[in-house]
Amino acid sequence: MRKRLPRLIACAFVATSLSACATASLSDSAADPELVKATPFASTYQAPSSPPTIIRDATLLIGDGERLENTDLVFEQGKITALGENLTAPEGALEFNGEGYWLTPGIIDVHSHMGVYPNPSISSHADGNEIVSPTTAKVWAEHSVWPQDPNFEKALAGGVTTAQILPGSANLFGGRGVVLKNVPSITMMGMKFPDAPHSLKMACGENPKRVYGEKGGPGTRMGNMAGYRAAWISAAEYHKKWTDYEESVAKGDKSAEAPSRDLEMETLRGVLKGEINIHNHCYRADEMANMIELSKEFGYKITAFHHAVEAYKVAPLLAKNDICAVVWADWWGFKQEAFDMVRENAALVELARGCAIIHSDDEIQIQRLPQEVGKAMAAANLMGMEITPAQAIKWITSNAAKSLGLDDRIGTLAAGLNADVVLWNGNPLSVYTKAEKVWIDGALVFDRRNPDQNHTSDFNLGIISPEGDRP
Amino acid sequence: MSSLLKAAFLFASLNLVSIASAADILIKNAQIVDGQSRNVDQKTDILIKGSMIVGLGTGLSAPANGRVIDAKGRPVSAGLFNADTQLGVREVGSVADTVDSGTSNEHITASLQISDAYNPSSVAIAYNRSLGLTHSLIQPSNGSGIFAGKASVVRLTDTDAILVDAAAMVVSLGEAGSELAGGSRAAAMAMLREALEDARDFSKHRESFARGSRRDYSLSRHDLEALVPVVKRQLPLLVRVDRAADIERVLDFAEKQKVTLILSGVGEGWRVADKIAKAKVPVIFDPINNLPASYETLGMRADNAKILHDAGVKIMFTGMGWQNTHNAYLVRQSAGNAVANGLPYHVAIQAITSNPAQIFGLPGYGEIKVGAEASLVLWSGDPLEVMSNPELVLINGEEYSLESRATRLRDRYYTRLINN
Repeated sequence: MRKRLPRLIACAFVATSLSACATASLSDSAADPELVKATPFASTYQAPSSPPTIIRDATLLIGDGERLENTDLVFEQGKITALGENLTAPEGALEFNGEGYWLTPGIIDVHSHMGVYPNPSISSHADGNEIVSPTTAKVWAEHSVWPQDPNFEKALAGGVTTAQILPGSANLFGGRGVVLKNVPSITMMGMKFPDAPHSLKMACGENPKRVYGEKGGPGTRMGNMAGYRAAWISAAEYHKKWTDYEESVAKGDKSAEAPSRDLEMETLRGVLKGEINIHNHCYRADEMANMIELSKEFGYKITAFHHAVEAYKVAPLLAKNDICAVVWADWWGFKQEAFDMVRENAALVELARGCAIIHSDDEIQIQRLPQEVGKAMAAANLMGMEITPAQAIKWITSNAAKSLGLDDRIGTLAAGLNADVVLWNGNPLSVYTKAEKVWIDGALVFDRRNPDQNHTSDFNLGIISPEGDRP
Repeated sequence: MSSLLKAAFLFASLNLVSIASAADILIKNAQIVDGQSRNVDQKTDILIKGSMIVGLGTGLSAPANGRVIDAKGRPVSAGLFNADTQLGVREVGSVADTVDSGTSNEHITASLQISDAYNPSSVAIAYNRSLGLTHSLIQPSNGSGIFAGKASVVRLTDTDAILVDAAAMVVSLGEAGSELAGGSRAAAMAMLREALEDARDFSKHRESFARGSRRDYSLSRHDLEALVPVVKRQLPLLVRVDRAADIERVLDFAEKQKVTLILSGVGEGWRVADKIAKAKVPVIFDPINNLPASYETLGMRADNAKILHDAGVKIMFTGMGWQNTHNAYLVRQSAGNAVANGLPYHVAIQAITSNPAQIFGLPGYGEIKVGAEASLVLWSGDPLEVMSNPELVLINGEEYSLESRATRLRDRYYTRLINN
């Protein structure tokens, strides 16, 4: 304990930091409340050991826009080690004949409410929107995640290996999002993607003003904007107080007194420090432009606009500011701000050399995200843009990984990256194609041919009949 | 942007026909996909005069002054039918002024006839038509009682769109019925029983009711009047129900009450598929649903369509997911996923064309044969494949534009992008 102390104290100074001190455990630090705060809710996920694996002669959509035919893929100890023709199998490797099959990186959904709005969708389970105040940057979606949500395994059967779980969009600041690996676990921490940055969900437009219009506001879009600005002004002050304090401590000032902690402000400070990524629900082009102005006023970066139905109208602006447009393939009409949908949205963002991502925001669509990509690709091709499946698959793989700050680990089939791999029984963008096998960190976690070995949620056991599980 | 792409774009723009036109058309070398048994590899010519298919075969001659379209083996299907939408009665979901799908007026339940609110100029109608949907059952949404009102069949034309004003009487049982009836699905059943008994009594004693010498009824005069065709077996009762036990219960109820049923929802239909088949009750559902969204759909599964069909149940589809109005044409994606989960392909096609045509009495629509109405779609590929798109949409022989407000927006911003 004494040996660890200096490092743990250092951790306490950066209590608002996300990644620092990931190894400090609760039991080590329980005696000192300051230390307990340092690394709460850290991932406990450990990749299971798995045999080396080689899949031969498959069609590979790499995830970065490339396509390789008749190619072998090898992974060992959780990492992709090689791809190429006629590779030598590692010793003891499991071999699969991939002829006629396609391989992609594990699918990534950057906008999911699995766990926070689980099924059955009863009020007892509705934990995704803290609708008590328009600014709740203090809440963390991960604290609402129910790991037994039967949606997780259905998404896995659709090839989804990673999902960003976000709070809902009732509030201007909805709270922190979390990236989960789609693995069975009794605890949320067991699913949490190690060392993935948090996100902060912000929301533009109709939802906050509808929810709070008769509850003290905001009641208008200008009210929304005033709400964001007021929060960022407070955050800037908080950020300065803590930065001054940390600098004093670093200079050896033993009399420096720590400012009081404020969970709301800690999240916003994390954004200002560049440690938390902004994922901003925002449909309309003009509002996206306003939000970009806002981010410049307060010196933070927007990582992605979600549900960006009008992204195509400001595609060059998004590209210039390095902001991903996270869109549905074709949803529209449920709100006025979702009226101007075009099926070519993702393709037009891509045409402007921007970062396009297709998300689900939906428990049905998350099970077939490649089909959503297929629709968006086909619509673009119909009007004369030439987009191939290899390019389009980026919208749910490498581009998605980039927006989560995880492109150095997932989203591409490349040596050194996590072996999150999906084997499809055909072109994944087809309505008829299914995931045959899914690996996460090299471990086979779904196998369509061995349904009895696939994990099923506690919820499903014996719920249709005493002996039978939910199908 | 390459000049090649620009050229392709201009070409596409010039090709857009924005006005419906009815000229004689010969579609050569089509693969006919209408869910009937035939050799799918065979290339067939389809000759259309006016609103009708007048010739079907090989080597048909082009009509004088008519158009000839070479399908080059691409599929032609009947225009698609979605059996549960709110097209024309729900423009922008969250804008109440544009939504007429249901009423909270407690004096209007069974007597609500959704065709009275239908607006064929809805942006969503032109959009879905341009993507291959030509027909739909418009179902009212739940109001204050268990009866939502009368569902109507429309075709997606600009005028004369209503084909059947009263196609079915929509009633909710199960959880939704429970909520409408005050907290028990048994109360919903009791309300239904009382309503039908009252309708029967009313139909026999209209005069004494008018004199004020008949007992009180549970519903208004107009609501009762709307239920009379139900008790006379002239109008099917479309019951929204999911739980296996509720389905069994309502099958039994319908037999005793001598009413004709259509079931809608049927999330756990597979568990009682034999009983539904034996009662010869057709069903409407979205085959893509496979999650236990509620305690009455715990058994929801991806092969519900296959199991129901295998048992002999006649199926109709809606979808996809909750976007079954603004993206009603995606019923074909739901149908494709049903095929991916074991449903025979031709049955999936029937479920979105000929089955609703038979059940709602639309002679001429739904099959591709001589004498049938020319409500057809020529597809770039398999109509159930998400990567296919319509290349020609005809309703009753009239060609409809493939343009929509969405393509207009697309073209405006595409042009800006490539010129910058």
